[in-house]
Amino acid sequence: MVQLAIRNVSRTLQDNNGQPLEILKDINFQASSGEFISIIGPSGCGKTTLLRLISGLDTPEKGDVTVDGNKVTAPNVSRGYVFQHGSLFPWETIEENISSGLKALNGRNYDKELVQHYIELMGLKGFESSYPHQVSGGMAQRAALARSIVMKPKLLLLDEPMGALDAFTRADVQEVIHQVWQQTKTTMVLVTHDIDEAIYLSTRIIIMTPRPGEIKEIVTNPLDFPRNRTSTEFMDLRKIIQDKLNFY
Amino acid sequence: MSALTTNAEHKKNKKKRELTLKYWKPWSQFWNISGIVIILLALVENISVPSQEDVNNKPYQIFLIVYFLYLSFTTVWGWIFRQGHLRAYSGHFSQLNVSLGILLIVQDLLTEKFSILAQPFFVSFAQIIEQITTDHKLLWDSTVSSTVLWLVSFIVGALIGVVFGLLMGRYRQFNYWAFPYLKVIGIIPAAAWMPLTLVIFPTSYMSEIFLIAFAVWFPVAFMTIGGVQGISSEYFESAKTLGFSEWRIMWKIVIPGSLPSMFIGIFTALGLSFTMLVISEMMGAKVGLGWYINWARGVGNYTQVYAAIVIMAVLFSLIFVISNKFQTYFLRWREQNNH
Ligand SMILES: Nc1ncnc2c1ncn2[C@@H]1O[C@H](COP(=O)(O)OP(=O)(O)OP(=O)(O)O)[C@@H](O)[C@H]1O
Ligand SMILES: [Mg+2]
Repeated sequence: MVQLAIRNVSRTLQDNNGQPLEILKDINFQASSGEFISIIGPSGCGKTTLLRLISGLDTPEKGDVTVDGNKVTAPNVSRGYVFQHGSLFPWETIEENISSGLKALNGRNYDKELVQHYIELMGLKGFESSYPHQVSGGMAQRAALARSIVMKPKLLLLDEPMGALDAFTRADVQEVIHQVWQQTKTTMVLVTHDIDEAIYLSTRIIIMTPRPGEIKEIVTNPLDFPRNRTSTEFMDLRKIIQDKLNFY
Repeated sequence: MSALTTNAEHKKNKKKRELTLKYWKPWSQFWNISGIVIILLALVENISVPSQEDVNNKPYQIFLIVYFLYLSFTTVWGWIFRQGHLRAYSGHFSQLNVSLGILLIVQDLLTEKFSILAQPFFVSFAQIIEQITTDHKLLWDSTVSSTVLWLVSFIVGALIGVVFGLLMGRYRQFNYWAFPYLKVIGIIPAAAWMPLTLVIFPTSYMSEIFLIAFAVWFPVAFMTIGGVQGISSEYFESAKTLGFSEWRIMWKIVIPGSLPSMFIGIFTALGLSFTMLVISEMMGAKVGLGWYINWARGVGNYTQVYAAIVIMAVLFSLIFVISNKFQTYFLRWREQNNH
């Protein structure tokens, strides 16, 4: 069943001199409920812009984005968004951050057990009352993830949530995302620079061209779970995607 | 469980580190004992050198004895316990205590003992302390009424400043209509309004509140606007994707996010409010420290002027320290830039 549909979407912004700058051009794709889509492409090709259009933080001047048949016009709790730089509220503790959306929705009677569950799952036990600047980058990113997941969104948009992490922490967070995806069946759209990450996590991979960003190709990932990063199938797929990402 | 203990340990170590950063001068037995000796010397000097002036030295001597006992206590305490806040504090300030002791001796000799700096414009510290004890009732009443006036006015001014600042920082429409007026009206020194406020307001007390609040609201409003506008848009966008209402965005994003800048405005306003407090009390009031100074000037008793100045130094420092504590508490989420 088609859940997310993006039709003929284009986005033009203004550069520093006020000149129009075409960022996204004629984007078309659909995603079914429960899919895990990765978007991969060179820096500046408009991946963040595309994700913002899906969330409703930005609106396209051409084409439209629909979720479950409804046109997206503004942000909504049913579409979670994890920012490229985490963006936890620095004035709230880790626990307050994670529960902040639930409190906005349900007031004081929010589901505290759910929050506790994700604090544990994300390995944040013992740091509930720490402030974001007091925890490591990986912890902060996992807390930002938890903050969106506890809202039980139908669609979770992830903008390079592991971009700033070292290899070990990155693998940890990938594992958590994979677990959450399998348990909750939330549709996920992940922006990433990392081909391995895209192959490891997603059911389909969207490859974008440099600016103006267009969809070059959508690769369906045939690998079964659990995936093994060192298997030949994995490596073959990596090779294929790498070749498609060679633009020059 | 292990995470919990490491966190607790981490906190303890952090406290220790903060203590040594704040009170960075190491404990020194030499300087601690020097401080005690100097204060003792100041006492001996005051008793033994004959005075040129008519002064009751008792209160000053009691002050020195209390000072002496305090220094002895902290020295012994630090010497026995070898750690903790009191030891770090008294160790850090031991050199300053020595300089203060020397200063006390020098001023006592210059004024009271040899009249090199003569009355009525220069008075010894002993004279000031004597004046404070004889006038203690009047001074206490003046201090209380000044404090109450200051507190009421400051809160009124700061609240108005914060509300205006938040609205102007958050809402373009409000900013469009109000900011030009804020800029033009806020830049006027509050003191310039004084002749008018004295006749416009029904009571002089209300005019004093207006003047002090007026001095406060502008820097607070101005810095709050900057604070709100400086909040990263990612926080607002996160809030929107998490379903925050406008009211909640105000309460959970705009207010805490602008707090660091707001506090800069509040501290600027603090100094202005003290100035306005004294000036406005000097002009219209019948109570308060400003009134007391003005009255003392009228009767030509400059010792009383000094007495009021000493009390103000203590009162305003206290207010400053308390404000600092508020800031530390409300901005506890901020990274400390220890250098
Ligand atoms: N608000 C804006 N106004 C003008 N130009 C913008 C704006 N936001 C982004 N851009 C430009 O649009 C282009 C695409 O930006 P976007 O952030 O979507 O890229 P990205 O693919 O996410 O890049 P990265 O991988 O580096 O995060 C960039 O060239 C950027 O400079
Ligand atoms: Mg980006």
